[in-house]
Amino acid sequence: MEFKVRAYRFNPEIDEKPYYKEYTVEDYPGMTVLNALIKVKSELDGTLSFRRSCRSAICGSCAMKINGISKLACKTQVSPEIEKFGIINVEPLANMPVVRDLIVDQEIFFDKIKEIKPYLLGQREDEAHNHFHVLKEGEKISQPVYYKPEFQNLTGNNDTPNCILCECCYSECGGVVGNPRYLGPAALAKLYRYSEDPRDNDKNGSRLVNGSKPDGMWDCVHCQSCEEFCPKGISPVKSIVKLHERTIKNSITFSAGSKHVVSIAKSIGETGRLDEIKVAFESGGISGLINDLPMAFGAGLKGKIPPLRLKLIKDMEDIRLAYKELDLEEK
Amino acid sequence: MITYAYYPGCVAQESAKELDNATKFIADKLGINLIPMPEASCCGGGVIDGFDKNLKLFINGRTLALAEKDGLDIMTICNTCTLTLSEVNEELINNPESLEKTNEYLAKIGLKYSGKVKVKHILYAVRDDVGLDKLKEKAVKSLKGINIAPFYGCHILRPSSAVKFDDVENPQGFEELIKALGGEPVSYARRTKCCGFQTILVNEATSTSLAGNAIYEAQEKNADVMVTPCPLCHLSLDTYQTVAAKSINKKLSLPILHLPQLIGVALGGDYSEMGFSRHNVSLRGIMAKVRQNEI
Ligand code: SF4
Ligand code: SF4
Ligand code: FES
Repeated sequence: MEFKVRAYRFNPEIDEKPYYKEYTVEDYPGMTVLNALIKVKSELDGTLSFRRSCRSAICGSCAMKINGISKLACKTQVSPEIEKFGIINVEPLANMPVVRDLIVDQEIFFDKIKEIKPYLLGQREDEAHNHFHVLKEGEKISQPVYYKPEFQNLTGNNDTPNCILCECCYSECGGVVGNPRYLGPAALAKLYRYSEDPRDNDKNGSRLVNGSKPDGMWDCVHCQSCEEFCPKGISPVKSIVKLHERTIKNSITFSAGSKHVVSIAKSIGETGRLDEIKVAFESGGISGLINDLPMAFGAGLKGKIPPLRLKLIKDMEDIRLAYKELDLEEK
Repeated sequence: MITYAYYPGCVAQESAKELDNATKFIADKLGINLIPMPEASCCGGGVIDGFDKNLKLFINGRTLALAEKDGLDIMTICNTCTLTLSEVNEELINNPESLEKTNEYLAKIGLKYSGKVKVKHILYAVRDDVGLDKLKEKAVKSLKGINIAPFYGCHILRPSSAVKFDDVENPQGFEELIKALGGEPVSYARRTKCCGFQTILVNEATSTSLAGNAIYEAQEKNADVMVTPCPLCHLSLDTYQTVAAKSINKKLSLPILHLPQLIGVALGGDYSEMGFSRHNVSLRGIMAKVRQNEI
């Protein structure tokens, strides 16, 4: 079967603006999008540029938008795509500048990974630790002792360490689309993974504090795209939510995001409902309310202001008991 | 008669009361029997697990158990409620430890959950349980000649491990419904993207730029109106539209309907029955168009 590949083309050195070019390719059973692109490059047009290396979904190089969704070209088969979309439309990942054709500049993504310090803190203080220890005859390796119970589940989640840094999540992330400075899913999942690790020597809780600053964990818009489209089955957003929980349980609540969540929890604990007015007030404090006043008045004139006092739900004591059982009453 | 336990969620009972009213209006016309759940609590607004994961399980496990006690499935009208209840349902069905813990709490309030309840958003309740043929049959106005941009948003589609109504890569449920009512679905890339609501009180600029760009794209594709299945999206898209326009520095003026209002209009609902005076962007133009489309 023949099918069409429609590729985004852009060489900033010669092209004024991006354009699309179509190629006709012959399918074979099990052909991947990467196979198709390699065929185009070797038989039809040697100028088509894209990254690839392992061809087995492990190096993370070949991520691109395939029919609008960020995927690994080497893990995506041609036939189901053709069945659904009738074409293989390939474009570079979003949220990063294009270097050429399907290749994006990954620097900003890796800068954010570096920013969360993706290594165990306080482990390298001792100089000797950095030198290789040459085993003497008969000497056994005594570390690491990962079979000990305290070293089970070192990373909070089993999934995060499987990240191949392919940037699919970053490209799909609603938070980054809205705020290009947002750390994004992969970096925050790593932040969570290190904040859970018992070997991490983060003496003053700097990971959670730094992660709570603007552009950090509270800028996630919960769009769920990172979980949905990660080719390795990782859910960065679940890690981010665990970061939220950990942060609040450690009383690091200076951010508007944490105030927002605490306020919703409080409102439910009091009325069983989400009190829109109270939550708006408590999340942003006075300035938040002033910010939203023109909006609130606009809505108010149209009768949209929610009731000022909410009726309790029926059997409210059930909800109170849930808070009591979970020891959440004080919070 | 199809019967559901009706879970409108908080926003449809507070600032988006028009959504609740429109839902009851169409339920009546389509023969859907909605049993109120006065004991049901807030689902936690999609963020409660950031406070305490078990609290999310307990309060939503309770809502599921209330419906199960009456032998009913739950119908929702909010994306985030749909996802939260679905996620908890999946967790309780698939994780015996979570189920046991939740049932220990539920036992103390005289309830028990065994995993029998299905959670259905009204979009898919109408498509699958009422059926589009019946919907067509009941329509008294056609939406012919109206370009309607469906805005799915996030939580009715993602993560597909929890919400399984449609194809997450290329959903069609909304488009099918619009076509059944005679309308013209507008195709645009941001139909499945985020409205930004979750950070509207936390980082307004992020939030409103997401909403603004979605509205702008639909407008550029000649949409007359945008429709959303979620009251939170509606707040971002309609209530905050003026702020969104400023944040992306574009002119925006696109009326935003709640899904039940779109259906309601086709079923003969008028301006006041649909609560259109509560919207920020006026619906008068659209209603004038609809009025001419007698079936
Ligand atoms: S979390 Fe998944 S999608 Fe994101 S970079 Fe890692 S492997 Fe890729
Ligand atoms: S859920 Fe949060 S981190 Fe994940 S893609 Fe959406 S905004 Fe980004
Ligand atoms: S080529 Fe390595 S992940 Fe695709």
